[in-house]
Amino acid sequence: MTEQKPNPGYTATDQMVISAAREIKDHDIVYVGVGLPMQAGLLAKNMHAPNATIIIENGIVRANLFPIPMATDTLGSQAFADQLSGLFYVMCLGQAGHISTGFLGAGQVDRFGNVNDTCVGDYRKPIHRWPGSGGGNDIMSFCHRTIIILEQDKRRFLEKVDFNTCPGYFDGKPGRREDVGLPPNTGPTAVITDLGLYGFEDREMVLKSVHAGVGVTLEKVKAETSWDLKVAPDLKDTVPPTAEELRAYRERIVAVRAAFGPPPGR
Amino acid sequence: MSKLMTMKDAVSQFVKSGDTVFISGAQHGAPNAAVAEIARQKIDRLTVITVLVGTNLLIGEGLTDRLITGYMMLDERRSYALQRARALNKFPIIEESSHFGIAMMLYAGYMGIPFMPTRCLVGSDMMKYNGDNLKTIKDPFGGGQVGVVKAVVPDVGIIHVQRCDAEGNAQKWGTLGVDHEGVNASKKVIVTTEKVVDADVIRRDPNRTIIPAFRVSAVVEQPFGAYPGHLAGCYDDPPRAFFAAMLGGQKAYEDYLNDVVYGVKDWNGYLDKLKAANGPDYFDKLKPKISRPSEPIFSGY
Repeated sequence: MTEQKPNPGYTATDQMVISAAREIKDHDIVYVGVGLPMQAGLLAKNMHAPNATIIIENGIVRANLFPIPMATDTLGSQAFADQLSGLFYVMCLGQAGHISTGFLGAGQVDRFGNVNDTCVGDYRKPIHRWPGSGGGNDIMSFCHRTIIILEQDKRRFLEKVDFNTCPGYFDGKPGRREDVGLPPNTGPTAVITDLGLYGFEDREMVLKSVHAGVGVTLEKVKAETSWDLKVAPDLKDTVPPTAEELRAYRERIVAVRAAFGPPPGR
Repeated sequence: MSKLMTMKDAVSQFVKSGDTVFISGAQHGAPNAAVAEIARQKIDRLTVITVLVGTNLLIGEGLTDRLITGYMMLDERRSYALQRARALNKFPIIEESSHFGIAMMLYAGYMGIPFMPTRCLVGSDMMKYNGDNLKTIKDPFGGGQVGVVKAVVPDVGIIHVQRCDAEGNAQKWGTLGVDHEGVNASKKVIVTTEKVVDADVIRRDPNRTIIPAFRVSAVVEQPFGAYPGHLAGCYDDPPRAFFAAMLGGQKAYEDYLNDVVYGVKDWNGYLDKLKAANGPDYFDKLKPKISRPSEPIFSGY
């Protein structure tokens, strides 16, 4: 697992998005947010999950394919959908338990799967501000499975998040979600980063595999984690992208995104 | 009775200093022309409730006392509008929720009830810092803890639509964000429309009416009233418009302010400037490349 493969023909980001796409099963009802979640959702639909239904916050419900959009709501993501409604409607679908899978980006995530999309430091005097919940809190509150995707870095992988925008399992004690009024059988089930894949056992994040194909080691993962990380006894190397997955990702996602150009202000 | 009027008159008559204003168009078809007119008339002390749209001008010009939102560019180091508001000592109080939280606050207003129970937001730190609007109560029917969000009844709601008749029967299609809840919650409603159509056009497809005439105070015909956003069936975003509105720095802010507020008499002046700068076919090029009509539906008896 610690073997270095300097030129595997794909990057850690490729692995992250492709691993995320694998989490989507055919016929899943998937709520996707902007950025990496949208990339993963559309990649899955282009490969092994053609019958997945994609739900987008502004009121878009569609089982048919569409080109990856620059933002969540574009003429392309709207046009020829199965249903166009509004935010209230699609969130009611979630609240009533009809959305199987949620995909969420994160500014910070912690040991018990709580996600911060709000601020670094104190809320009243933040060191850094993100745009806030958007639909993130709603997704994490409602979906049967929520998958969190982010680039891993010690400052973003914390024992406890600075601000709990989207509660996971709080302090990890049993029943916390139900106690505060969150629906049963919901919460984060996986975390996918550019270093490894994680699941949850007894509400605590557990490392399942490392992206050994791009040279990631367990030591590297631990170095980018701020708590004493629980590691699965049968820790594996992440299954590398197949040629077919890489081709779909590059043709359908990377190439289309490149055509947008870089956003201003970056 | 026709409610057709100019943007200037609609805004000056129906948006007042101190009002709570709902701005529609969460990412789709925001009433940008109307927002520019509010800035031009410097209507201040506003409480703005919205999802995601470009309210930068209302913040940067120091017109917003309070912002109720679930998602905004709130990093002061990156948002020139916030920096400017801070410099003017007009930094808004920000009351944060989630998208669904905002939708439900408006939905409760639309229903005429004081609050709405929900399963989102509970346990989050938004509850801690926005306790005036978000709380947890005990389900009176024995179901344990439940979140509640407080109703918002905006003094005025502003929506931009594809078509509307002179009396105010307004029809919008494409994604509706929180438009339906927001305008129907509002006491007064300003409709800005790409096109004013005969009532007959509305009445041959009445399911599409998002708010009926008797709830509408003013109708303004304003082509490209949601530019530089997109509007289903009408026009696409110019490249990068969405991000520029969120992330643009001082120059982007000042250029836009000058383009739409101080450098022109009204929105049509801005459109003329765009055509002069980019060619007379500029707006034709923003039309959807693939555009297909829906199957007609039949009404009658």
